[in-house]
Amino acid sequence: MTAHTAGSVVPRRAVIERMGDAALIATLADELDAAASGWALRAATAVDARRVALPGLEAAVPGHGSVLVPFDPGRCRESQVRALLEAVLDETRRAEPAPGGVLHEIAVRYGGVDGPDLPEVADRTGLSEDAVVALHAGTEYRVLVLGFMPGFPYLGILAAQLDLPRRATPRVRVPAGSVAIAGRQTGIYPFESPGGWHLVGRTDVPLWDPVRQPPALLAPGDRVRFVPR
Amino acid sequence: MLEVVDPGPLLTLQDRGRPGLAHLGVPPSGAADPWGHAVACLLAESPAGAAVLEVTLGGARLRAVETCTVALGGADLGAELDDGRRLPCGAVHLLPAGSEIRFAGSGPGSASGIRAYVALAGGIDARPVLGSASTCVPARLGGIDGRPLRAGDVLLPARRGDLGAAGRVWPSGTAPHPATRPGPIRFVAGPDLRHLPPDAPEALAASTWVVGPASDRMGIRLDGANLPAGREILSHPVIPGAVQVPADGRPVVLFVDGPTIGGYPVAGVVPRWQWPRLGQLGPGDRVRFAVQAAAAARAAWSAQQRVLAAAARSVRADALWDRLADGSGG
Repeated sequence: MTAHTAGSVVPRRAVIERMGDAALIATLADELDAAASGWALRAATAVDARRVALPGLEAAVPGHGSVLVPFDPGRCRESQVRALLEAVLDETRRAEPAPGGVLHEIAVRYGGVDGPDLPEVADRTGLSEDAVVALHAGTEYRVLVLGFMPGFPYLGILAAQLDLPRRATPRVRVPAGSVAIAGRQTGIYPFESPGGWHLVGRTDVPLWDPVRQPPALLAPGDRVRFVPR
Repeated sequence: MLEVVDPGPLLTLQDRGRPGLAHLGVPPSGAADPWGHAVACLLAESPAGAAVLEVTLGGARLRAVETCTVALGGADLGAELDDGRRLPCGAVHLLPAGSEIRFAGSGPGSASGIRAYVALAGGIDARPVLGSASTCVPARLGGIDGRPLRAGDVLLPARRGDLGAAGRVWPSGTAPHPATRPGPIRFVAGPDLRHLPPDAPEALAASTWVVGPASDRMGIRLDGANLPAGREILSHPVIPGAVQVPADGRPVVLFVDGPTIGGYPVAGVVPRWQWPRLGQLGPGDRVRFAVQAAAAARAAWSAQQRVLAAAARSVRADALWDRLADGSGG
């Protein structure tokens, strides 16, 4: 997982490169940036909308500042995919006037056994634990990407005062529902796994259920607000 | 019906995986060696996307609870029946009720690989999750409760299997396993060359690498002459085959259960036609890489699919002859 610091880079143009013999990747920004992330999401949605028109095009994958477009080289040509991607990037460059997205309010128990890194975060940022919680819960986040593990939401952008690199030594076991921060992002571990982010709290909201449709509670573009309890 | 007596180091159910869900953070999974999977399915006359057992290294033991037929694909892991009879890879075998099949395994550096596939004639009854029965242990999906198989697990046939297939063999002369082909593993350079020293693909191709002990279905870790350290970049989507250069300069080839996004530069991507080779790399294996143009990789993929399809026709024709010969229809 990347814990990248935010930049103020406004995306100007995309760089399209090969990811192997059956995918192209368009890079829209080299640093975490809300505008580029929104562009990547709009582009991925627009590519998916054209899958009927270009058989062989596979589901696009939005990244933090990039979009991956896999295709079946047996059914369409790379040049067709590249042309389509260029057109889509051009069309989606400008942000829509009113970005939507479902708002999720997620109840969090901060600190204590649920957020064992809260004291360290407070210490390293020079803030009180209460101030860390106020900052973390005081921001409305957007789901930038799902990744790293099924249903893990990368949420941005975290307050600059809470910007910390990942833990030097990742934990072998992070409990399910842990709310964590790293760089200018915050996330929620959908199930128990290893992890290197700082754990500040925990929620009981089920984020991932493979037999539910859709299996992930959150989708890229959704909004999230944490509510201390 | 098969019962797991001993799963060995790792025994999982695998089919062709669940591609197309990376936007949810779900890796594709599926058989690490798609060729081995296809061979086992074709010999067992299972559908191309059927769930089979993926056996890793030596140690696994399976018991036939009732008489059944199994096809073996992938690497030859020294399978034998408990009466000592050798069960060659690329062939269909009758397992009498109560008999046990054992995988002796292959040592490090073995040319034939580390994964064997066991297809049960009639298919294995498995519940698909997100469109696939493939087990993805890190994501806890598929198989039985998303976990590796363990002693006592019972695998039921999806339908009554055909016992008459025993003895059928794969035409290995015309369709040999891609891992038996010598030469370097090919990769398509990029996409993150602007975040790496300009000669990163050449540096990857210049050394002989040793597959590290921590390699698994998530990633193949390469030890050798380290590449210049990759610096952390803004995460982007990654795919199986992507050769990531982390901060310690030791490349990792991300694989079928690997993460869907990564924050280290990718120097190259091993194309799909080389996955049967990746899937057979085991700890201690020595491996070299070579750059391949994307167009050449796509041509190689088509050629590989044509060979597989021709072999499949030949196997099906044999099956038809078998049926005509024993008068059971055609």
